[in-house]
Amino acid sequence: MKRITISPPVAAVLLAIILFALSGLLPNGFGSNMLVARAQAVNILRLSVFLGVIAAGQTLVIISGSEGIDLSAGAVVTLTAIVTYVLVNGNDGRVLPALFAAILVGAAIGLVNGTGISFLKISPLVMTLGMSGVVTGMILIVQHGNVSGAVSPIMTKVIARPLIFGIPGAIIIWVFFAGLMWLLMERTAFGKNLFAIGTNRVTARLSGVNVTAMVLATYALAGALSGLGGFLAVGNTGVVFINIGNPFLFPSIAAVAVGGTLLSGGKGSYWGTMAGAIVLTLLTSLLTTMQMPDSVRSMVLGATLLILISIYGRQQALRQ
Amino acid sequence: MALSLSARNVVKRYGGVTALSNANLDVNAGEVVALIGANGSGKSTLSKIINGVVVLDGGQLLLDGQFMEFSSPQAAKNLGISTVFQELSLIPQMTVAENIWLAREPLKRGGVIDRKMIREKSDALLNLFAGTYKSSLHPDVTVTSLPPDEKQIVEILKAVSFDPRLLILDEATASLDSRQVERLFELVKRWKQEGKAIVFVSHRMEEIFRIADRYSVLKNGVTVGTGAMKDVNTKDIVSLMVGEESAENAVERKKAVAQNLSGSSVELDVNELRTDFLKGLTFQLHKGELLGIGGLKGQGQRDLLLALFGDLKYTGSINFSGELVHFKNTRQAMNKGVALVPGERAKEGLLFIRSILENLLLPSWGEYGFPTRMRKARESANRIGSTLNLKMAGLDEPVTGLSGGNAQKVVIGKWLLRNPRLLLLDDPTKGVDVGTKAEFYRLLARLCADGLSVLFYSSDDEELLGLCDRVLVMHDGNIRQELFGETLTKSNLVAASLGASRESMQ
Repeated sequence: MKRITISPPVAAVLLAIILFALSGLLPNGFGSNMLVARAQAVNILRLSVFLGVIAAGQTLVIISGSEGIDLSAGAVVTLTAIVTYVLVNGNDGRVLPALFAAILVGAAIGLVNGTGISFLKISPLVMTLGMSGVVTGMILIVQHGNVSGAVSPIMTKVIARPLIFGIPGAIIIWVFFAGLMWLLMERTAFGKNLFAIGTNRVTARLSGVNVTAMVLATYALAGALSGLGGFLAVGNTGVVFINIGNPFLFPSIAAVAVGGTLLSGGKGSYWGTMAGAIVLTLLTSLLTTMQMPDSVRSMVLGATLLILISIYGRQQALRQ
Repeated sequence: MALSLSARNVVKRYGGVTALSNANLDVNAGEVVALIGANGSGKSTLSKIINGVVVLDGGQLLLDGQFMEFSSPQAAKNLGISTVFQELSLIPQMTVAENIWLAREPLKRGGVIDRKMIREKSDALLNLFAGTYKSSLHPDVTVTSLPPDEKQIVEILKAVSFDPRLLILDEATASLDSRQVERLFELVKRWKQEGKAIVFVSHRMEEIFRIADRYSVLKNGVTVGTGAMKDVNTKDIVSLMVGEESAENAVERKKAVAQNLSGSSVELDVNELRTDFLKGLTFQLHKGELLGIGGLKGQGQRDLLLALFGDLKYTGSINFSGELVHFKNTRQAMNKGVALVPGERAKEGLLFIRSILENLLLPSWGEYGFPTRMRKARESANRIGSTLNLKMAGLDEPVTGLSGGNAQKVVIGKWLLRNPRLLLLDDPTKGVDVGTKAEFYRLLARLCADGLSVLFYSSDDEELLGLCDRVLVMHDGNIRQELFGETLTKSNLVAASLGASRESMQ
């Protein structure tokens, strides 16, 4: 007898489609108007991009195992958004340098995370939580809560507006980005070794994998991806505020889990995380449309996460 | 009360897999019955049915002539059936005494644990193996700080503390050194005389012949032979286990590796190698040589192999292929052509939830370019798989589905893929069935003939005697003796393992 099992990423995509269809049935939903439906779908996807990119780094550290997690992602997004905002200052010519700066700042913070975890043997949870506090403090000191700067027209055009065939640039960037993530995770020695250290670090080490270097690289890369996330986020909103990054933190972890990546490490995919990001974004916007208060939204998001994870856990138990 | 237990026509299925299709076992008070079979033949399943861990799907279990159905391991224990598990059932963070008396601590009036009583009873148990401990094993040390052999002893003592009528020893000697095995056998003889029944599950033929009165051989879930040990020899048993065709090779392994090293160069020259535990080792390994490392467990063999592989800090000089090397990590060692098959297959050798492909290619991904040429990687994996006769459903299957012998082939295969110059083996045939062992011996012979140098630690003396022309016997972080030619005999090996000098043996 063959059991039909649905892999978590597929389950998440199905859930997203069902949720989207249901949203159409709401009093103010798109109903049978396909043009509106398409516009709404595109908008949801566009909004998912920012969470999706930030959750990419989270995916990597969670796969790296040993209780890997990056709780500094939210603070790094805020900091790099500010860096971008200040450096660009409305000038198209400074967009690329600002992008590099954002990625570099993120990578540097990630490298410090990795150093603490590898050499000082601080648990990832504590290390990145502490780092989150440090970065938040730095933001407050440097900017005193006031930031002067601006995004540039080209950023708005490429990230927030439709680029080709009415598809927003952010989505095109995301598709390209996803291809790179797949290459990184499935078609490089780094990716293969990442899954290895997430599964069993002793085996990895005794098979010639430099585990320390891998951990450093993974956290630095995660920081860099948060930096990219910060750049994209500010390009989307057009303004920067002190709380721009933090709302992404919990969903970035949740998206990874919803996408079926094992929280204990060693197994997962970025494609699952993308599906998770879409589900969470969709759910949030659905609840907003239904005019649910913040409290209900976070309860529903939390409950969804718990339900999905328990279903995945059960599937796995059945297969063994 | 004298016990007689009999399992008749037992059937057990796990999902679609039939683990046992017709298994039989009789054991009576005052006898030792060896349960023998290759890996995956169902002997663990059968012992789990007897001790109530697993419920049978067909057949029957008779205890003292009564039809029995154990609802839980506890029910079996209450009837006097106790097991020493192959995978230890100890809680690492608890002390030896806490582990032994877990959930049935002797209590004082008022429900307070009687520490004095626990201490006394534990001391009495630990005394059974007195004199074989390397560390100062006492009831209050935490289990996690013990070496593997002493953990195994605690596991044995825990089972014995129930004062069982039937004791199942499932590969209980696998991680014990020869002195500890010796002691265990003395105890088994004593328990036998006291009227206990013992089921002895082991891969070690020599031990089976020494200790068992009767045998029961399982092959693919079917009991293919039972009888008295005195009526059979090793070859008979092996024939039953693996079928006729490959029985010959399994026992006739003596000098499988023909060594003519007179003209060969020195591949590895180790001088005054010291670690926290090793006390200055000096030896040479020739090109194409299979050099054995013997001695009791935990005498520094593991440290030696890890130091050579760059995973342990050391002082002293190592000259490898005519070049002075000092590996700071495993990657450096690997890139120079050193390979290590570690002692704990599951914890150190394999990535359990990942595929066979990823396990085989783990050290080599860097050589397949960017983006990784998957087709080429799969070709390499398939090639090494067929070289090693690896039985698998496919490269993408998780490595969890493989039997012990096949899993070990994956660990060896990942290194052979890289054509190493020096292969370090840490007890590679532990928990591997006889058929796979024979294949493995032939493989070693072939590799050495091709010029690979091998440093081979084995906890099985027979293996060292049969395969190696030269054996370094380690004791307490030193090379106690180098045995070769006429001095390489069983009694010398055992004597040197125990730290006895050659003079005292004469």
